[in-house]
Amino acid sequence: MPLYGTLDITQNTKALPTLANLDTEAWTLPKAEMLQLLIEVPRSTTDGLLPKAMHPALPSYVALAVTRYSDSPVGSFNLAVLRLGSRAGAHPRGFLLGAVASSEAAAKELKGRWGLPVEAGEVKFLRRHDRVSGTVRKTGKTILDCALIDPQPVAGSDVQYINWVTAANAPLDGQTQPLLIQVDPKYTFYKAERGKPQVATFDAAAWNAASLQLADPIVGTCCTVDTDLPRIRFVMDPIKPVFQGTRRIRESRADE
Amino acid sequence: MKFGLFYEISIPRPWTPEKERTVYNNCLEQVKLADELGFDHVWAVEHHFLEEYSHCSAPELFLTACAMITKNIQVGHGIVVCVPEFNHPIKIAEKTATLDILSGGRLHVGTGRSATWTELGGFRANPDTTKKSWDEFVRCLPKMWMQETFAYQGEFWSMPERTILPKPYQKPHPPMWVAVTSPGTEIDAADRGLGSLGLSFAGFEEQEKKIREYRRRIKQCEPVGAFVNEQVATTNFLFCHEDEKTGVEMGKRLGNTFNYLATQLISTREVYSSPSYQSLGLLPALRRAATGPDASEQQTEGMAYGDPARIIRAVKKWESLGVDCINFILNANEVVPQEQVMASLKLFAKEVMPHFAKKPAAKVAAE
Repeated sequence: MPLYGTLDITQNTKALPTLANLDTEAWTLPKAEMLQLLIEVPRSTTDGLLPKAMHPALPSYVALAVTRYSDSPVGSFNLAVLRLGSRAGAHPRGFLLGAVASSEAAAKELKGRWGLPVEAGEVKFLRRHDRVSGTVRKTGKTILDCALIDPQPVAGSDVQYINWVTAANAPLDGQTQPLLIQVDPKYTFYKAERGKPQVATFDAAAWNAASLQLADPIVGTCCTVDTDLPRIRFVMDPIKPVFQGTRRIRESRADE
Repeated sequence: MKFGLFYEISIPRPWTPEKERTVYNNCLEQVKLADELGFDHVWAVEHHFLEEYSHCSAPELFLTACAMITKNIQVGHGIVVCVPEFNHPIKIAEKTATLDILSGGRLHVGTGRSATWTELGGFRANPDTTKKSWDEFVRCLPKMWMQETFAYQGEFWSMPERTILPKPYQKPHPPMWVAVTSPGTEIDAADRGLGSLGLSFAGFEEQEKKIREYRRRIKQCEPVGAFVNEQVATTNFLFCHEDEKTGVEMGKRLGNTFNYLATQLISTREVYSSPSYQSLGLLPALRRAATGPDASEQQTEGMAYGDPARIIRAVKKWESLGVDCINFILNANEVVPQEQVMASLKLFAKEVMPHFAKKPAAKVAAE
């Protein structure tokens, strides 16, 4: 059978975000601009980063994403995330390793509602004619400086975004416990561009992935989309294979 | 209706030299038996880096071994990756001709372009251009086989005039096919006069539509080779057992194991945004559609597992849709013990095969 992750999140539950409940309301996020860079990473540098319930993607890769949300229930904000390519059973997923939001309010809500491992910091999204760049600073230090070089138009249908999985404590069956939470935004594309990923600065430790090394770039995209952060539909036992440990919290959206 | 075997050569962890050798030997033993039982083809994929799912990176060597231990069964590259970073076209022409000679003219040449990032990225190939390079390769290969000398200047490769040797044993050349997984590739096959080597288990309705379109288009094709190879092959799982319930249970186990491994592959579309890979283009999604928990009864009925009567019904349905050949996957990660694979093949040959008369291959001379 395929390889499994080795991270046991039950061993350090204090480090995880804690959700008050699994009934968070959805956020509608119109006209978001999403910069995403996919980069292969050496498999050995991902050891211990992926929960035991999940399979690693082979080859290993990460998604570095910097998004400008122009409107949300907490106002406009920017969000940078690092996701590790993986599988929940048969499904491609990106496991969130770290995130930085440009406002305290956004960080608090994203952490408390969906379990994003997010802190507040300085997140910039900058569009120029020859590139789209993202920079992230935390406690006075640049932890990410990346860009999509020479963006060229592609169709939105050419771009595939992978659903996220976060690790958090959440109440289930009357007990707050560590869980894996599926976050599965929808996307309606207005504009899509593709180009070459470039990373000038990446401080792996600041993204909770000290051992991670970036290696071969795959591709970069920048898209303008209507998106959302939906209600939580699935949670997974962090130890059991997901085909044994997945729980449906609520039915799928009417349009799915 | 013709019957074939289709090999990905799936090997479970933990890998040891003995385990890889055992699985390869099991496959060869199956092929030898299939030849004796009257199966028509053995196909082997070309895949690289696909852990557990397929350890068949040198299919021409496996197929040579198959040819050496058999008498009649035809050997098929299913497929040769026609992307320059994977295979130089001169080497493809030379190796296939050699295999055709060694097999006594039993070679079929399937062509394709790879569908996973794992493979394309591994060879640093550009996903945007694989369809173009495939097109260039399939137009060159027949000329390289047939012409005394050959020179070429193309977008993806070139060569000064040389004599490419040896020449294939079959004249004018071996039948050519293309792997059909992405929607629309059956049209590419038809327009070039190539056989449609279907690698999906799409539902009856979808298959019927594809076959109808393929048959219609191929009538007006301009073949890339010296003849039109109008044939439609599909892939299926095979587990034949006297007891229907046992047969279905083991068949589902085989299918589910195969599908689970397939879903672990990184399709090109998953990570590389490209108009060249609009669909997954992979076996997993289509195969899951046929065997997964959401599979319709109709799709499940198309699977070649169960008792002989059930399998006969499934095969007759495919035959009625216009399928010429079904190629069977016999195992995945060795979940079916070898003795049961062998028993399944024997029972299929005894109870199912006699219900299906063989038709001559549709080999039409090009004008």
